Amino acid sequence: MNELLIKNACVIDPLRGINAETMDIAIRDGRIVEEVSGAAEVIDAHGALTLPGGIDSHTHICGTKVNFGRYMSPEDMRAGRTPRRGPLHATSGYSVPTTYGNSYRYSVMGYTTLLEGAMAPLEARHTHEEFTYTPLQDTMANVLFDGNWGVMEAIRDGDIKRVAAIIAWTLRAVKGFGVKLTNPGGTEAWQWGKNVSCIRDPVPYFEVTPAEIIRSVVEANELLHLPHSVHLHCNNLGTPGNYTCTLGSLGLIPDLNRKRQTLYATHVQFHAYGGSGWRDFCSKSEPIARFVNMRPQIVMDMGQVMFGKTTTMTADGPMEFNLYRLHHDKWSNHDVELETGSGIIPVIYRRKNLVNSIMWAIGLELALLTKSPWQCLLTTDNPNGAPFVRYPEIIALLMSKRYRDAEFATVHPDTAARVPLPAIERELDWYEIAVMTRAGQAKALGIQDLGKGHLGPGAEADIAIYPLRIDEVDPSTDYRKVIEAFGRTEYTIKRGRVVARRGECLVDGSNATFWVRPKVSDAYDMGKDPDFIEKFDRYYTVRMRNYPVQEEYLNRNRCIETEAAI
Amino acid sequence: MIVKDAVCPFCGCLCDDIEVEVEGNRVVAVANACELGTTKFMCEERLKGPILRDGDGWKEITYDEAIRYAADTLLSAERPLLYGWSGTHGEAQCVGVHMAELIRGVIDNTSSVCHGPSILAIQEVGHPGCTLGVVKNRADLVIYWGSNPIDAHPRHLSRYTRYADGFFLENAFRDRKVIVVDIRRTQTANIADEFVQIKPGGDYAVLSALRAIVQGKTETIPRTVAGVTREQLVRVANLCKGAKFGAVYFGVGLTMTRGKYKNIRNAIELVSELSRHTKFTISAMRGHYNVYGSNEVNTWMTGYPFGIDFSRGIAFYNPGETTAVDILARKECDAALIVGSDPAAHFPRRCLEHLADIPVIQIDPYPNATTAFCNVQIPVAVTGIDAVGTAYRMDGVPIRTRRVLSTDYPSDEEVLLRMYTLMQGAR
Amino acid sequence: MKVTLAMKPGPRSFIPIEAESIVPKNFLAGTDLAVWRGNRELRLDEVFSVSVEGDADRPEDVEVVLSGDDTFRLKRVGEYMDGGKITVLGDIGMHCGNFMSGGTIEIHGNADGWLGREMTGGTILCRGDVADYCASGYRGGRKGMKGGSVEVFGRAGDFLAESIAGGTVTVHGDAGDMAGAEMHGGTLIVHGDCRRPAANMKTGSCYVYGTAQGMLPTFAKNGTVQHEGRTLIHFTGDIANRGKGNLFVKGYKYLD
Repeated sequence: MNELLIKNACVIDPLRGINAETMDIAIRDGRIVEEVSGAAEVIDAHGALTLPGGIDSHTHICGTKVNFGRYMSPEDMRAGRTPRRGPLHATSGYSVPTTYGNSYRYSVMGYTTLLEGAMAPLEARHTHEEFTYTPLQDTMANVLFDGNWGVMEAIRDGDIKRVAAIIAWTLRAVKGFGVKLTNPGGTEAWQWGKNVSCIRDPVPYFEVTPAEIIRSVVEANELLHLPHSVHLHCNNLGTPGNYTCTLGSLGLIPDLNRKRQTLYATHVQFHAYGGSGWRDFCSKSEPIARFVNMRPQIVMDMGQVMFGKTTTMTADGPMEFNLYRLHHDKWSNHDVELETGSGIIPVIYRRKNLVNSIMWAIGLELALLTKSPWQCLLTTDNPNGAPFVRYPEIIALLMSKRYRDAEFATVHPDTAARVPLPAIERELDWYEIAVMTRAGQAKALGIQDLGKGHLGPGAEADIAIYPLRIDEVDPSTDYRKVIEAFGRTEYTIKRGRVVARRGECLVDGSNATFWVRPKVSDAYDMGKDPDFIEKFDRYYTVRMRNYPVQEEYLNRNRCIETEAAI
Repeated sequence: MIVKDAVCPFCGCLCDDIEVEVEGNRVVAVANACELGTTKFMCEERLKGPILRDGDGWKEITYDEAIRYAADTLLSAERPLLYGWSGTHGEAQCVGVHMAELIRGVIDNTSSVCHGPSILAIQEVGHPGCTLGVVKNRADLVIYWGSNPIDAHPRHLSRYTRYADGFFLENAFRDRKVIVVDIRRTQTANIADEFVQIKPGGDYAVLSALRAIVQGKTETIPRTVAGVTREQLVRVANLCKGAKFGAVYFGVGLTMTRGKYKNIRNAIELVSELSRHTKFTISAMRGHYNVYGSNEVNTWMTGYPFGIDFSRGIAFYNPGETTAVDILARKECDAALIVGSDPAAHFPRRCLEHLADIPVIQIDPYPNATTAFCNVQIPVAVTGIDAVGTAYRMDGVPIRTRRVLSTDYPSDEEVLLRMYTLMQGAR
Repeated sequence: MKVTLAMKPGPRSFIPIEAESIVPKNFLAGTDLAVWRGNRELRLDEVFSVSVEGDADRPEDVEVVLSGDDTFRLKRVGEYMDGGKITVLGDIGMHCGNFMSGGTIEIHGNADGWLGREMTGGTILCRGDVADYCASGYRGGRKGMKGGSVEVFGRAGDFLAESIAGGTVTVHGDAGDMAGAEMHGGTLIVHGDCRRPAANMKTGSCYVYGTAQGMLPTFAKNGTVQHEGRTLIHFTGDIANRGKGNLFVKGYKYLD
């Protein structure tokens, strides 16, 4: 029996409605309990801010595409190297660190759970292998269905149940967690070097539109009773005027789930652009936020851009090619048979660049204009908008008008005429930040009942204690202290064990992987469906028996079974 | 007993549709595999147990003794080299990286003598590629450049290109054009629709000329480039631009000839240029069945695909300096661990001279050319035959190999883990 | 101040010694420095007989003299050097003068690979030959040399001044293959012959006073120019890369 008692913690636990109460937290064998014995080890938090462990609901940390970002970037790798030290392995990289680099740096910031935003099913085994070497966080992966031939054919045939059945078979086979659509239809078109312009533009040959894909997959997702909603990267990422496409996509979504949103729209900053070209490029954060404010069925994440170097990587192959034509640096692309694709290019976001300055403002505006913090979560779409190590700065920007103004004074001078940011007075409070960095994620991912994102009895003892007393620090003026504190916990506790202390990781951990197995009737078991099997054998280059990811690849296996309605 | 859907541990095609017939724990027949794969499954003579050099001969030692010897030797070295890795599973490669980190050695894989230049090129300009099935289902034009799949990757043509029907090509042989570019008329050239014969060392110039022609700057190009007429270059450029989906596969004929990674860079830049006109991809014909896995493992664990020097604790990467051939030729290491490869069969003489001078431990199932250079050899199970593990196909698709036989041999991973555990105890 | 570092003779070994601590400014604070032989950390005086004459309070007044038979084993000497002088009375190992921004390095023997990699200023003189990648960039195709000058009195290996973006490189002998590849700024002058100069260049100037062997077909000929008493043929390119660089050669041969 392993017991730990955290005393005098100033707890903000939004899922339980607790806002800055000083209390003790008892932990036994990795879970939070009502009380522990007198033999428990004691940590005195001395009134420091204590939150559930951070959760990143959209990040790119593991898998084929991420690893290719490393592979092609020795110049990024040498930008952040640490040696092997005690139980810690060597790390390399700044914008796309090695798996250990990601894990240690997230841990130091108090993050204990990560969702890999995009996993191609055919290459899922790779993602799981890297999860094993991401030891200090629990992990889960969204599975890409944006260009899935079987799904598109079923949609064309009007058979939503078959869509659900294919998703169920695939999630189970690849040990995936959620359903991801990246530029739905566009990734298939890109395998011909084409794209779809918006949601009404049919996909070549398959003759279904992105709108049909989004609607059908959302319905199928709910038939399967998955913990998470569909996770959508809208069409047209990064193009001027794309906000109308984004609004059109969000407008497709009915409210189908009482416990959570029906659609998670990711990195919306990249989808909130006005203008007819780069010359009149401007922010359209206001119409997007207004729209989301009226629709509880939508949750989004920011996709904040921060100035500096990074590497962009997404399943959205055509978008990356367009970016490459703008930057003309290196460009990688990787199309995956019958399923999806991906692209990678390095970028530098510059303050002196008007477009980049506007992008920076839009992310902040979305967070500040969305009334409920539960509906706009904090991300950079790591590493697309910026590496996750920039999160503390984003928190400070959201909490301090003064900091925003100081930063705004350094961006391109024409930015003011193109964005509403300077007029926004709102400063988020500690509670709202706690929602946007853990509680909101747990709710949106549907994992609060699994003991994630809160500190109630039975919860996993994933806890972050920040070296900060909220009764002493005014974030509006002391934003430097906010940045420092969120960058380096006093303690990060994972499954009841202190894994990081004051910027140093202490142990080599052992992560758990969450995945979903929807239980479907025999009639909808694609593993027995002759047509599915025949097409698989004819068009894939891997045998169907060799496709599923074996449970050997899951370090700590956390299977979530759902009762599907098919 | 017949094992279906077995995975062939020979070349980078990593065919996973092999049927292996086993009788009395012996492979008696292999179906679907090419000749190379069949030979591999039929098993060569293996070493029975670990051996230690004893004067001019060998003496048998136990696994414990061999592992202890290996750990001690590597621990006492100032610059140990851990080389090979392409002929083993990913799980063993992971242990290898941890070991290199712990003992502060250099870890390198066989890429440094095959597709290392491709990686250097990708690091300069990126890599527009795809999985093999995308080509099978869509490509109406395939170019083999400096590669001869009939010899080296026999089933590449039947599974993915020349003879492989796909979703959008019902009759691949008729609907798909194949161009072969090489310095000599290879067997693959004989089944091509167009053969471009280049003078040795002329690939770079031809690629540059094609890039210019695709941009419409034909007038600058001399009448012939490295033995290829301008007319043929224009015809090839037009075939490329006219294709709906083109795929380039290149081999060591491009990576290991004059200019090395600049050749590959130029080929990639040609493909990027063509991507402005139509769909085009490019990929390397990787040799060993899991050389790509070795690159992947090294990359997620160290940040670099091969040639990683941990002497100073942090990972330092500089092919040409931190790669096995360079280190051996310059005599810059003082002990070596060889896993899953046979450098003595491929490395230049200067490298072998140094290998003969330093303590060498080899982990390999078979006696091979490197055996003559090693002090200890530790036999292990063969991944894909009597060991299970992960391998990455040449296009990055990871596949778990199957076990077709059961033997008492430990896997590479087990042997390496035992060595690593001893080393951890000592440090 | 003059610091003399004479390498101690030892058992014959080729294990490289990384000595990035050998930079003039470091000696302002004494000679208590470390170097690494493979994975072993050694004190400077375990490898060298160290003697110091005079004193100084700025790097510009420090000269470091390296001598001994084994100086070819020393890597990274003068890395990040910003002033003062290093004199090598023999051959020097790889990565000498990496990231150098000021001062002078003079090598009386040959220099191994990556001499002056990614340097931004200062001067390197090599009296002997240089191996591959002199004045180049790092893997990943980033900018090579950005400023300063490198002068080589012997021959140069392959990939000379790869990705050069500024500064001047002069080689008095021949250079190898792919001299000035990916050039996008700066000046490269080869007095002898070389192969395939300025491949894929974007901008910058490359002069070959001898013959450009294997001349690439993607440079457009613009007639002749007079340059320091020589008549040179002027090309622009590399048109394959939409480049607008200048390549001047005395003679050229296509691989046709």
